[in-house]
Amino acid sequence: MAIECLVLGAGQEVGKSCVVVTINGKRIMFDCGMHMRYKDLRQYPDFSLISDSGEFTSSLSCVIITHFHLDHIGALPYFTQVCGYEGPIYMTYPTKALAPLALEDYRNTFERGGEKAQFTSEHIAECMKKVTAVDLKQTIHVDKDIQIRAYYAGHIHSHRRPSRPDRSERAPTAQSAPRRRPTYLARLTHVGAKPTSIMATLAPGAFLTTLLHSTPLHPKVLGAAMFYAKVGDASLVYTGDYNMVPDRHLGAAQIDQLQLDLVISESTYATTYRDSKYVQEREFLKAVHKCVTSGGKVLIPSNALGRTQELCLLLDDYWERTNLKVPIYFSSGSTIQANLYHKILINWASQNVKDTHARHNALDFKNVRSFDRSLINAPGPCVLFASPGNLNGGFSLEILKHWAPYKENLVMLPGSCSNGIIGSKLMSAKIPTQIKLDENVKTDVRCQIHKLAFSAHTDGKGIMDLVTFLLPKHVLLVHGEKPKMAALKEKIQSELGIECCYPANNETVTIPSTHHIEAGVSDAFLQSCMAPNFMFWKTNVGSDERTPPILQVHDDRVGQGMLTLQNPRVFTQNELRDVLGVENHQVKFAHCCSAAYDSEVSNAASDWSPSTSQKNSLLQLLFGLVSGDFPDCIMHDCQKGIQVGSFVASLCSREECPSSNADALHFRCTWSVTEEELAWKVISLVKNVKLSREST
Amino acid sequence: MEQRLLAAAAAGRNHNQFPKSLNAFVSLISNPCTSDSTLTTTAETLISHLQSPNSNHQQILSLLSALSDHHPRLRREVVAAVKYFILLPSITIPALSHALSLLDPADSAALDLFSDESLFLTLCFYECGKIRKWLLRNVSIFRVRPSVLLTILLGFTMDPFPYIREAALDGLVMILNDGVVVEDRSLVGGCYFRAAELLFDADISVRRAAVSAVSEWGQLNVASNPDEYKRDLSDALFLQLCVMVRDMDVEIRVSAFDALGKIPTVSENILLQTLSKKPLLSTKEKIYPGQYTEKLSNIPATAAAFAFLHGLGDDFFQVRRSACRALQTLMVPSAEFACGTVDILVCMLSDASVVVRLQALETLHCMASHGHLKVAEYHLDMFFSILIDNDALIRSAMRKTLQFMKLQKLAMFRSCIENLIKNLELYPQDEADTFYALYRIGCSHRKFVIKIIQEVSQELEPSLDGKLGFNKVKSAGLFVLAISAPVSLERKTSSVPPQIFSYAVTLLGRICHGLVDVVDENTLLSYLSQCSRFTFTSTSENIEGGLLDFGLKYNRIHLHEKSNEVSSPSKTHGPSEFTSPLESHVKSVSCVKTIFQKIVDLWPLIQLGCMNEVARTLRSLKEETKLFTRDSHRPEGVIVFAMNYIHAIKLLGNAWAYSLSMTNLQLKGMGALEYLLGKMERGLTEMLYRYVGMTRNEELHILELMLVTYAIRLACGDTCHFEEYMRKLDFVLCSIEYLYKEGSFEISRFVTDLQNVSREIGNSEDKAVDMPYLLLNSLNLFSLQHIMLSGELKHLDAEVDVCGNDFRKPLPFVPGLPVGIPFEITLHNISSEIKLWLAISVGERSTQFVFLDLNEFGGSDEIRKFKFVAPFFRTHRVKHLVLKVSIGMESSSENRNLKRYNGPKHELIYLSRDTEVHLSMVVR
Repeated sequence: MAIECLVLGAGQEVGKSCVVVTINGKRIMFDCGMHMRYKDLRQYPDFSLISDSGEFTSSLSCVIITHFHLDHIGALPYFTQVCGYEGPIYMTYPTKALAPLALEDYRNTFERGGEKAQFTSEHIAECMKKVTAVDLKQTIHVDKDIQIRAYYAGHIHSHRRPSRPDRSERAPTAQSAPRRRPTYLARLTHVGAKPTSIMATLAPGAFLTTLLHSTPLHPKVLGAAMFYAKVGDASLVYTGDYNMVPDRHLGAAQIDQLQLDLVISESTYATTYRDSKYVQEREFLKAVHKCVTSGGKVLIPSNALGRTQELCLLLDDYWERTNLKVPIYFSSGSTIQANLYHKILINWASQNVKDTHARHNALDFKNVRSFDRSLINAPGPCVLFASPGNLNGGFSLEILKHWAPYKENLVMLPGSCSNGIIGSKLMSAKIPTQIKLDENVKTDVRCQIHKLAFSAHTDGKGIMDLVTFLLPKHVLLVHGEKPKMAALKEKIQSELGIECCYPANNETVTIPSTHHIEAGVSDAFLQSCMAPNFMFWKTNVGSDERTPPILQVHDDRVGQGMLTLQNPRVFTQNELRDVLGVENHQVKFAHCCSAAYDSEVSNAASDWSPSTSQKNSLLQLLFGLVSGDFPDCIMHDCQKGIQVGSFVASLCSREECPSSNADALHFRCTWSVTEEELAWKVISLVKNVKLSREST
Repeated sequence: MEQRLLAAAAAGRNHNQFPKSLNAFVSLISNPCTSDSTLTTTAETLISHLQSPNSNHQQILSLLSALSDHHPRLRREVVAAVKYFILLPSITIPALSHALSLLDPADSAALDLFSDESLFLTLCFYECGKIRKWLLRNVSIFRVRPSVLLTILLGFTMDPFPYIREAALDGLVMILNDGVVVEDRSLVGGCYFRAAELLFDADISVRRAAVSAVSEWGQLNVASNPDEYKRDLSDALFLQLCVMVRDMDVEIRVSAFDALGKIPTVSENILLQTLSKKPLLSTKEKIYPGQYTEKLSNIPATAAAFAFLHGLGDDFFQVRRSACRALQTLMVPSAEFACGTVDILVCMLSDASVVVRLQALETLHCMASHGHLKVAEYHLDMFFSILIDNDALIRSAMRKTLQFMKLQKLAMFRSCIENLIKNLELYPQDEADTFYALYRIGCSHRKFVIKIIQEVSQELEPSLDGKLGFNKVKSAGLFVLAISAPVSLERKTSSVPPQIFSYAVTLLGRICHGLVDVVDENTLLSYLSQCSRFTFTSTSENIEGGLLDFGLKYNRIHLHEKSNEVSSPSKTHGPSEFTSPLESHVKSVSCVKTIFQKIVDLWPLIQLGCMNEVARTLRSLKEETKLFTRDSHRPEGVIVFAMNYIHAIKLLGNAWAYSLSMTNLQLKGMGALEYLLGKMERGLTEMLYRYVGMTRNEELHILELMLVTYAIRLACGDTCHFEEYMRKLDFVLCSIEYLYKEGSFEISRFVTDLQNVSREIGNSEDKAVDMPYLLLNSLNLFSLQHIMLSGELKHLDAEVDVCGNDFRKPLPFVPGLPVGIPFEITLHNISSEIKLWLAISVGERSTQFVFLDLNEFGGSDEIRKFKFVAPFFRTHRVKHLVLKVSIGMESSSENRNLKRYNGPKHELIYLSRDTEVHLSMVVR
């Protein structure tokens, strides 16, 4: 049996994750992402490779989505609504709640650019109706053969995008923020009191879409999951994007030790080794603290669902500890709205947040309040979170205009900004300077600039740790750059001895998988299995010859059975004959020998052969001789021969025997293999004997 | 009624009807009025049921257990029946465990059953897995030889059932915890590697059990191997556990870090690797034996990569705390590693969990007390922000850590003081504790103190309108700081303006409250008023010391380290606190116990020759001990004992370090070492004889130390005193043997080896050549054990005085004639059986002994105070004579017989200090 992996996307590249796996005749599609670099059909995986006829529903058993990033879910509405896939789709609850928002946002942005997206809002809504939401560690039986289970993946935030929509596309979005605010604030007051009703409203296509219009999503991923799938005996884990290190808000990936044939892992940062997060946190807090204590204002441009929660947790905690009374503001209701989300989905947060949840929800920021435009020029220090994160217009840019000219103020820039936008200009600028905000508008920048450097996906060590923990038979790398993947493959193979590959897009790799055969067991075998049967011996362990051998314990009770392949059944050695229904064959040796006797003994009559009674008496004589040397010798079978152990010498009655001799008793000797030595001893004794009356 | 019930019960003879008769049985058994004959019949019926294979054994056993509980006289029959029942081949598991629970292992009737290994073994090899589990979980009720048990447990680690593997691993750990000694090295290795294999079990509970098994057996494996492998094996164990710190199960991660913290010695390069993700050059190619994955049986040294940082950044606070705690032990030997962790530990101070913050502080504190805490300037912000933390415990722990910190720059010191004062301003409730911290940190940074006080002295002056701004908290803090500034009592100069001391007097009460551990109010007042009259010198370099006597109360937090929560000294030692003598005794005993434990922890350091560290710690321990001498004018026996012990260990450490390096010996000769050993010998002898109430264990411990002294001396080639010390050695060995015969304790390997060596040397011809080598070998076996204080120790003590006598007021004497000297003698804890001698000596040589018959003087054993006029015969023909007098006790057990005329027959153990008596010729 084998697992066939068809990589439709993210093979040796980052973008449009999509892997179709065929296990034991069942086909599962993991992720259905789009590539942001293209605007035509190239942005989608080549679905025709799944089925030429376009009959996707029958050729796929199910689709599994790991999280709501567009490069993991972007092609889903197209696949279901345009290509016509009707089968089951699985994702976690938060993903199901957030996915339509992400898709809708993408569609809007795209269409605002004057182009037509491949799917419509209706498509998204219809598509989401087909989705089945799953819980973590809940085993789902897709059909009678397929089992899937989701594990927490703790993905931190989106990886850097290969391309962002450029400024002309983004600007109107951001600037529309203030105008739209009243709508969802009203919604917020409407639902704020009852979390359950919010849960209900989280259904696809609900009010939250508005939120995304105002703040494009570049979120930290709530609800990212790894998926375990098992068909028959073959099983695999598809990781999606994950992180092995927890942060303040989301925990680290968490999975059981499973018997796996294959792990399909992302490898975005395959060769990166990231340092401890503590240092970055410290730098951040130190900078903020220094600024506010000297009376400055801190601007943190960030997106609603972005790092805001993470940074807020950090600040709020710090404020608590150090008794700082400086106000922290959220620029818009959107961030407050996003916090609401996170509060509802508290189960998906990190252990810390969960632990303290009973006392107070860490996301109920004590020191955080909503910002009012009148506060822009209010005296005194403050910290402000304003969207969008890249300072590319909108509220954050407006604040920047006001605050940048004063050198006591501080602007926190996100770790990565695309070229050409104001964020990146600020990052590379030498302070003081002038920044062109617009064709005509310039502003002086004298404020301090601090760069945030928080980590994204898991790094190389994290991937190795996960693989070491899971110890699958094979590893397949996707979602990374080719040279990095090659380096990681080398590492996995040399360090762990696990086969590893990283196919390109549209390639298929076949991986051997486990196949269990069900076999019956006999009662005797079962009994022998139940009782301990261990033994000890010393062996050398490891390659080092100098180390002394180590005492090892072995318990071979399971291994000592026999297996028949037809109608598989395990039984013990003793039962072999019965099971096979055959006779017991024994290998025996045979030999003719004779014991000479004195012809005087027999009567002198012409009859050359002795009579039966004479034979018997001769035999008696012989028996007496032999038993002198071999005490366990017995008379055998109505006195026709003698027996020592398995050695039997019986009188030969064949008269036409060529070796027949008048003066000898002829014996036909047989013995089993094991007693050859004994047999020859007896034979030589018999041969050398001369029976006579006197000898009695 | 009884008859009817009996009939009903008897009807149950038929097995099918048994359930119906159950109630009748219960009534008969529980009714106290049931007649004996009926009960006997009942018992017989039940026993016959028990033996039939078809009945419900569980029910019958319950009834039998009730029967034997209610009517103890029937117990014998019941037990006999149950014993028979257990050995039936048809027994089922629930019934078996039930039946076994009926038998009391302490019961003599059941004893043979439980001490019967064959029953245990038979049960072990039953085909049923459940019974094995039951057996493994209840293994303690069977008396099975440890060797058999160990084999069985090791075999069961291969069982297909995970719960049996888990129970077997738990059993392996239990065996070690029960103190079973496993000497077979290959068996130890076998257990260790089998446990290591199970670290990769698919079952979480097995992995959990395997972690602790690997830890315990790994340490035994390290210990049981020859020295040259120890380091590698210890490293291998460390790496083996490092593999587990990335497990997905929280408990496993926690226990992995706990186990890591128990490994005493790890190579520095591996420790450093735990701080870096990238393979370091020093560890890149190294591999160690162990289990890396299920199949790979060699661990690369890089497996340790980032282990600690993962742990410190874990999602679960339990793991973070455990990782933090593990650092506490691991950073001791390596300053570089400690340095590397400081960065992260400082960041941990902002952890969301209070427990973790406290643990991080404790680790930092521990680091500071080992002198590894190097604080960089960029740490300071974080450090000092902790001083204004909301949590009182955290602030208090931080202040304690601060006291040990060595700040390199004035700016750092200034910011530290500023933050302490800020702490004071924000949290007035911390005042006492903060004052103490200010004082301590001031003491260790005196030059900075002088600068700061000089800077701010203007602020401290009264304002123009004559009002002192002393109510300001800041001034109070600065005054405390000023108190810590150096002054010279002799030259009456101080390094800070003297008027500050007089201002400080106005806050005497508050300051005193803070410094209660250091000084009492009167002393402080006199100190302050004295200092305020001093002259001010700005050149402060030559002013050293002169700080009252309050350096004594150094770092008492050490004592609180053990307890998990860090308590603030101001709370526990407030001035209003009153402790009863008993309470204080308990306190001092527990304190001494802690101190002894700490001393044991120092042993690895002594072995490594890090005497600076050891001396520092011992000093602080000594000072801690001294704290207990403050309350009463006579310290308790335990405390004196502890002081002596600490001193002895210090000498031992020095001697050990000295003997370690032979080059040292060659360069400096035996002289210094001999001096150390001589001192140690005297100290140990005193400890041996001057305490009443020592247990055998304590005695043995001291005797063992004596052996070490002798062995070092002999091993280092002290040929001059060879015979003498061999004799002493034999004598001590005999004493130990004697003790051993009396008691039931183990003799250490060191002693047994030394016994062999002494025998061998006795037989050897060329003694002086063989000896050092053999002795060094046995010395290597020595390791300092924890000395257990079991009871109250009474210190035998004596004071001798001649009242009113000093060099100005000598006693008159006539040269050549005897003179009577009136002594005032105080004896503590000396019973009348003890032979006491007054030793009066003139110069080095001539000593005269006077016997003190205690029966003549009154008083109790506890304290005896009397006057005694002793004659002194050998007055020289000089004008002035100085006699040295001391009281000695004749040690009955010392082997040497002194041929003295009119003097003690045995060696004297001196109980008092030398007192000088001045005599002057009578001038006519």
